[in-house]
Amino acid sequence: MRRACVAAIARKDVRMAMRNNLVLLALVSGVLFSLVYYALPSATDETYHLSVYDEGASALFSSLPPQLSRGAAFSFVSSEEALHEAVYAGDAIAGIVIPATFDEVVAAGGVPSLSLVVADELSTGQAEALSFLVATLAGYDVYGTLPVPLATEVIGADEAGFVPMREQSVPFYLLMALMMEMWTIATLVVEESAAGTMRALLVTPARPSDVLTAKTLVGGVYAVGVVFVILLLTRSVRGDLVALFLGIVLGALLAVSLGLLLGSLTENITGSYMYVSIPLIVLLLPGLLLFIPDISHDAVRAIPTYYLVDAFGQVLNRGAGIADVWRSYLAIACLDVVFFVGGIAAIRRRYR
Amino acid sequence: MTVDNPYKVRNTYVTGYSGSAHVMMIEATGLTYRYGDFVAVDDISFSVAEGEILGFLGPNGAGKSTTVKMLTGQLVPARGVATVLGTDVSRHPKAVHERIGVCFEEKNLYPRMTVRENLQFFADLFDRSVDVDELIRKVDLEKWASERAEALSKGMQQRVMVARALVNDPDVLFLDEPTSGLDPVSAEQIREIIRAEKTRGKTVFLTTHNMAEADALSDRVAFINEGRIVALDTPENLKLRLGRRLLRVRTRAGDDFAEEVLPLDDDATPDRMGALLRAGGIATVHTLEATLEEVFIQLTGRKL
Ligand SMILES: Nc1ncnc2c1ncn2[C@@H]1O[C@H](COP(=O)(O)OP(=O)(O)O)[C@@H](O)[C@H]1O
Ligand SMILES: [Mg+2]
Repeated sequence: MRRACVAAIARKDVRMAMRNNLVLLALVSGVLFSLVYYALPSATDETYHLSVYDEGASALFSSLPPQLSRGAAFSFVSSEEALHEAVYAGDAIAGIVIPATFDEVVAAGGVPSLSLVVADELSTGQAEALSFLVATLAGYDVYGTLPVPLATEVIGADEAGFVPMREQSVPFYLLMALMMEMWTIATLVVEESAAGTMRALLVTPARPSDVLTAKTLVGGVYAVGVVFVILLLTRSVRGDLVALFLGIVLGALLAVSLGLLLGSLTENITGSYMYVSIPLIVLLLPGLLLFIPDISHDAVRAIPTYYLVDAFGQVLNRGAGIADVWRSYLAIACLDVVFFVGGIAAIRRRYR
Repeated sequence: MTVDNPYKVRNTYVTGYSGSAHVMMIEATGLTYRYGDFVAVDDISFSVAEGEILGFLGPNGAGKSTTVKMLTGQLVPARGVATVLGTDVSRHPKAVHERIGVCFEEKNLYPRMTVRENLQFFADLFDRSVDVDELIRKVDLEKWASERAEALSKGMQQRVMVARALVNDPDVLFLDEPTSGLDPVSAEQIREIIRAEKTRGKTVFLTTHNMAEADALSDRVAFINEGRIVALDTPENLKLRLGRRLLRVRTRAGDDFAEEVLPLDDDATPDRMGALLRAGGIATVHTLEATLEEVFIQLTGRKL
């Protein structure tokens, strides 16, 4: 490998990529797709909102037990009308009116009472259940009686229900950006073949490996860059950053090596669209299925990018670290090597 | 005959090649190449000395480009050895690539890069400082240096291709049909560049199917047909060896023309010629030397 050659080819590739509309489109589309993020439901929609009108100053419900801090939100309003409005508009599923005499009755050793306002969307049964829960909660708040300890078990494979759609979709944008890079790299390689310039390059001191190394560098840096733009746009830099970054690098290498391989299969630009677009759609499937969580994932496990998307989801949304995703990373790393060797072999075969 | 061609003078010196006294820049020994079962180049051997232009003349499909590809390390011969600058090309292609320039038959510039960018990029691949502007001047493209290659005419693109082949100031230049398909003016510009390189002592391997070009530029010409070299000599020798030594004399008598063809090597010819001259009325006298094309047809039975 000659560093001067690699640097010169890389510089040239950047220039060529900037002048290729398709390549630019790939860049922009990766970013545009991530804007879908903001169209998806966010975390707040998964919370039970209750409106509270406290006529006196009972301070009931003002500090919720920790178990309720994520699942329910109590917002205090200043009049009964405001409470009715909030329930009517659907901003709250129910409203609780605390009478002005609440504290007095408690202090006198009597039994206080509350009233619950529910929207007609709730069935009678749901309304009764809700009123019982509110009563229990009030009792806990007033008398400090500990509820019976309860172990919670979530059943069903779709544990994703806990993570809002918006956050669940982030791995898809990352996959999208990476796979678009595959297209970019394939295009750079095919262009080099189609224009015959690969032959011209190979009668200079540049070797096939220099050409591929340069394209790998350009494509890899570009892919990682776009992925980070998306992470920043969707404010998703979180979780185990080492695991996240490693996943991105492995994913970028997957995209680049596949791009090199696919780009080496043909010398014809139009032909390359077919060679690239079909694998592109297949590789995007595991990401698209994130939006349809009810579909069984078993068949999708045969698609390499499943492991990438899965690992991104684990790291970003479930607090996973390297220890949890190393098997997926190993699988992707192996595929990186396979596609790379395949790509270099394909180029070597074509150019002796 | 072109009197203004200084290389004709040199041919006399080239004709006398003994081989041993000159450094051989290119040596092909028994080169053979097959595409599948089809033998495209069949056991050819030749050598090119320093400062020499070898014209590789043959019709389409004769095996010219395949030979260039073997000589420049783009194809590995099925049999035989190609040595350039004393190095086995198949074994050490990169050592050879440092010091040669290749101009391809098909246009292969980066279409969306400018002329200067195309040349600068290739200059950057070599470990030497290159004056790209000087190169652009050499091929007379200063006005077009900042235009994208795709915007240039065919002739201008071809000059960029030649300039690119010269980017590393190569000792040996391989030019695969550099004037093919060009208008006469562009073709002549390319030939001027080739002559200039020869003047600088460079060795040139030039393929062409244009016999006039081979005749005008080459120190020696190899005829190649169906993968084999059928003749290799200076253009003069080829024409003399197979050409007819005849004189054609046209005489006028009133409104009528008469024509006589006299063998140059016949004892009766001086007397007959003298008689015609004394009689007056000679309109034209021509020697009927063969063209390279005629020689090629005689040797191969096919046209260029
Ligand atoms: N890639 C290839 N595959 C099969 N046959 C080829 C290939 N390239 C050239 N040929 C054949 O080899 C012969 C010589 O081709 P080439 O060297 O290009 O001839 P030239 O340059 O003299 O026109 C031709 O008959 C051509 O059809
Ligand atoms: Mg050819």
